[in-house]
Amino acid sequence: MNENLKIKKLYALSSENRKFSFSVPLKNKIRIGRRDYVVQLKSDEKYGTYILWKNRKYPVEIVRSRQNKYEILFNDISYTFTVETPFSLQRMKVINSTKGVNEQESLKAPMPGKIIDVLVREGSSVLRGEPVVILEAMKMQNEIQSPVNGKVIKVSTKAGCNVMKDDVLIVIKVE
Amino acid sequence: MDLSGKSYRTFIERQEALKKQFSEKQAEKQHSKGKLTAHERISLVFDSGSFEEIDAFVTPADQPVEFGKVDRTYGDGVIVGHGKVNGRLVFAYAQDFTIMGGSLGVVHAKKIAKIQEMALKMGSPIIGLMDSGGARIQEGVASLSGYATIFQNIIHSSGIIPQISVVMGPAAGGAVYSPALTDFVFMTSHTSYMFVTGPNVVKEVLNEEVTSEQLGGAEIHARKSGVAHMIYDDEENTILALKKFLSYLPSNNVENPPMVIDDGATPDINEKLRDIIPDDPNKAYDVKDVINLIIDKNSFFETSELFAGNIVTGFGRLKGKTIGIVANQPKVLAGVLDIDSSTKGARFIRFCDAFNIPILTLADVPGFLPGIDQEHAGIIRHGAKMLFAYSEATVPKITVILRKAYGGAFIVMNSKNLGGDFSFAWPTAEIAVMGPDGAVAILYRKELAESKNPAELKKELVKKYRDKIANPFIADECGYIDEVIDPAVTRKKIVSAFNALSNKWVKVPARKHGNMPL
Amino acid sequence: MKIKKILIANRGEIAIRVMKSAGKMKIRTVAIRTAAESGAMYLSFADEIFDNSEDVSDIPVFLDIDKLISIALKTGSDAVHPGYGFLSENAYFAQKCFDNKIIFIGPSPDAIYKMGNKTIARRLALKIGIPMAMGSAGNISDVEEALATASKIGYPVIIKAASGGGGRGMRIVRKEEEMERMFSTASKEAEKAFNDPSVFIEKYIENPKHIEFQILGDTKGNIIHLGERECSIQRKHQKLLEEAPSCALDPELRRVMGNMAVQIASAVNYHSAGTVEFLLDSDKNFYFMEMNTRIQVEHPVTEAITGIDLIEQQIRIAEGEQLSMKQEDIKLKGWAIECRINAEDVQAGFAPAPGKIENLSMPADSYVRVDTGIEPGSIILASFDSMIAKLIITGKDRKEAIKNCKMALDKVWIKGTKTTLPFFRMLVRNQKFQDGTFTTAFIEKDIEKCYLNSEYEEMLAAWLATKLFVEENLQEDSINVDFENGKEMSPWLLNKRINQF
Repeated sequence: MNENLKIKKLYALSSENRKFSFSVPLKNKIRIGRRDYVVQLKSDEKYGTYILWKNRKYPVEIVRSRQNKYEILFNDISYTFTVETPFSLQRMKVINSTKGVNEQESLKAPMPGKIIDVLVREGSSVLRGEPVVILEAMKMQNEIQSPVNGKVIKVSTKAGCNVMKDDVLIVIKVE
Repeated sequence: MDLSGKSYRTFIERQEALKKQFSEKQAEKQHSKGKLTAHERISLVFDSGSFEEIDAFVTPADQPVEFGKVDRTYGDGVIVGHGKVNGRLVFAYAQDFTIMGGSLGVVHAKKIAKIQEMALKMGSPIIGLMDSGGARIQEGVASLSGYATIFQNIIHSSGIIPQISVVMGPAAGGAVYSPALTDFVFMTSHTSYMFVTGPNVVKEVLNEEVTSEQLGGAEIHARKSGVAHMIYDDEENTILALKKFLSYLPSNNVENPPMVIDDGATPDINEKLRDIIPDDPNKAYDVKDVINLIIDKNSFFETSELFAGNIVTGFGRLKGKTIGIVANQPKVLAGVLDIDSSTKGARFIRFCDAFNIPILTLADVPGFLPGIDQEHAGIIRHGAKMLFAYSEATVPKITVILRKAYGGAFIVMNSKNLGGDFSFAWPTAEIAVMGPDGAVAILYRKELAESKNPAELKKELVKKYRDKIANPFIADECGYIDEVIDPAVTRKKIVSAFNALSNKWVKVPARKHGNMPL
Repeated sequence: MKIKKILIANRGEIAIRVMKSAGKMKIRTVAIRTAAESGAMYLSFADEIFDNSEDVSDIPVFLDIDKLISIALKTGSDAVHPGYGFLSENAYFAQKCFDNKIIFIGPSPDAIYKMGNKTIARRLALKIGIPMAMGSAGNISDVEEALATASKIGYPVIIKAASGGGGRGMRIVRKEEEMERMFSTASKEAEKAFNDPSVFIEKYIENPKHIEFQILGDTKGNIIHLGERECSIQRKHQKLLEEAPSCALDPELRRVMGNMAVQIASAVNYHSAGTVEFLLDSDKNFYFMEMNTRIQVEHPVTEAITGIDLIEQQIRIAEGEQLSMKQEDIKLKGWAIECRINAEDVQAGFAPAPGKIENLSMPADSYVRVDTGIEPGSIILASFDSMIAKLIITGKDRKEAIKNCKMALDKVWIKGTKTTLPFFRMLVRNQKFQDGTFTTAFIEKDIEKCYLNSEYEEMLAAWLATKLFVEENLQEDSINVDFENGKEMSPWLLNKRINQF
């Protein structure tokens, strides 16, 4: 029983649903075609953390990590992955199939104030915790963050607007 | 060895019968819901091969059942035992949904009570992995009394050993109080829920349609009710996090928290700390950036992350030693103290105090949240919890004032006269009775009203107020704070202050217990 | 008159650029320290610094005419270089300088005014007979007039701000129904941006190339052109990459267009450096667009292929010197490409990504020139432009320049903010770019993703995510906890604790 649960494979799932699989224990090698290439994670004073791959240094930065989600800035491009085990991948399929119609989340103003900036547009993809609106209240600029991963389907406010508590600012389709 | 003797034969038969009871089919059923079986969960929690199960062969209470039927299974739907987690003794029970829906019968309850008592005797943490339909109706009031025993045990152990609940399936009715009474509640998204009355009752009584998930899903409890402290997307991640979480906690209230060997990867002096506070005093920043630069690299474990985000609570390590962190979060609601953040902070502080975990407070608080709903809902009473908790705590307490510390909120955030051991301030700190705008409006009401250019005058007065009053230097000169420090050396200062406090002892007057304003 | 001291009424990369040429000519320079960027890199290149960091007014000093004049007088500067942006095309500022006997390094106030007003400029161009897109005779006052004009010249049309530039107040109208809405937004935008709501209408040329000619004129009436630049790689009328020469021009077309450019400059007695912008359609018809009366961001590509220091020429002309070269002396040699590396998030539609530059490393090869005002520790402010650096890459021909560009881009390393580098990395690998068949519609129409999305790079990032996950969760020794240690404590503490419970 223990052996079955031992994680032998991990999958990194990109936000665009591309799947990269790696065997565990994770090797410092990546196979392309028939050749293995060595990949190393290093860091030094000047460059900070970087990946050494085929003699080139790629700057990397871990922008965010939350549970099994990682946002990585790699060579100036951000990638978001969730790392899944075979079981959690299967679980994800089960849950997605039973979820049915996608839910919506309305983002409301937590207190009265003035909208300084709207950081997303209709159609933008947002991640949980990503700031979407800046609200000035109590003489402070507050970031209102998306509570879910999803797509913005409605923006019902704009910069300069005064809002009351619980006014709906943005509607996000949960994904 | 010859195992063909009669007694051995029975022994082997029983073993085989037990094995048979947990068939592939049942496991498959659990898997098809995206859930693991109780055995699988146990083996994920404990170091491989270390779990020792007890009472595996007990059977349900042998009493006449007048209504429905009780399956005569081994174990009565719960696995109990002990083992090692990261090498340390931990007790656990795991309810098995595949056996009578994990319902709690008399024997089931007795098993849990037995392991609870053992954990208390040994002074070891206990984990409950919950996945149960609730009290076993067939066994009637006897199963209810089982719950009562379990609650009584939890309360007895509270503050002596860490008790953690992991809700991985339903928990309804009275069953919810078992996790609610423990120190921390973990939940798994989409497959776990907790509620006192379920959707059916809500429909009958109030005629409102609501799903289990909407009523008491992990998401709701993590975000709105604050019942769940940590939620994860799947069970494996939940358990991985649980194991990590345990590594911060001591086994009991006499021991100190465990140590991690300090790899020296975190610089003691970090100039990046100087850049975090924006020049504009009204601009927000993320206090977690400050936390992550002060404590050991990657050691922050946030609790109740999604609930009352205006206060950040969590565990971290300082040179390998566990500390608890309480910080105002300017990024959310400007970091104000409101009802939710006060209760969240207070409960966290009390946990740290009970288990000898020193507390680091990072203050940047514009005040209490004004408003009718807050006042009417009792911000006075709830804010008092935070005061009470800070003042009552006898563990080492250090405060760093990063920026705003105005009025009552300054006092609440572990000020020196409230029993804070060390109080530091960054040069960006503004310590005063109230913010510049408010103060100017009160003290210069007449002048402002008579001025030809009130906006200009106000700007000038605000600047003067900032220079003269709202800074850390006056408080420093009066001894209300111990030192104004360069943000870059914050870690170094805190490490040496906590070292100085490592033998701190405060004699508390003898009493049954204080009367916290609950 | 020889200039002895120049006040640099600008910041960043261009301030440094001007100071370098001035230094070469042994002219002293004065830079202005501002509150927003009190430790900026450009300050260290100046001979003198005027400290204006106490001034916390809402208008940046570089836009404050009176303040600049007073600084020039206070510091004894006999000339002002406005750089680009800010007051560089402000006729009133040029006039004010003149009134105070300060040399404005740039054209005359009259030339700035005439070319700055698109309606006057069009009238001038019409007089000379330069081909232009059909358009309104003057400013359009209301929607009715706009509709009438548009139906006369035929859709699609483009509405432009009369005193505009940089894409603001510009709207393309494809159908009659859209006119009312577009007209009012363009007009409002123009009012907001340039304090002048007047707009005019032109026939919209679909998918053109953007070709511009560098002009140099002296105060004695000599005007020459230094060949063209192609700036078709744009996003919402903001240039991202420029090159010189353009692969769309042959020597004959270059001669004809260059000639036209010189003529329009002559019409306003232009002196100093300037740029005449044209659109070139797929049938090689060209249309005059506008003239920019300042040094351009992209001037280095012209410098690279002509070997002429344009800032030095500007200063010499301002001193009253006669041009030392004639049209026939100008020979274009090799190929140059400029990449504008901005602090922008290409994955979020080029949204500005202000932040602190923690570290950066630029290539040092002979084929790269780097113009930058940013060093480690510099802060990219949301209030100024988001430029980090310009890479000017040369090669003996276009193919070699692109090859060099590819190599140079791989060597650039900027830590602290997201940049437009992934866009350029994609661009140099794009077939259409390599062919030279791209137009100003390239970013909107011809590419799926505006950044390089290399499968290997994504895989490496995935590997890193997995590695982090493994290190955090799966390694046996990941949490190296010493539980025994928790039991060790001083007898003092242990005694007290045990006796309490």
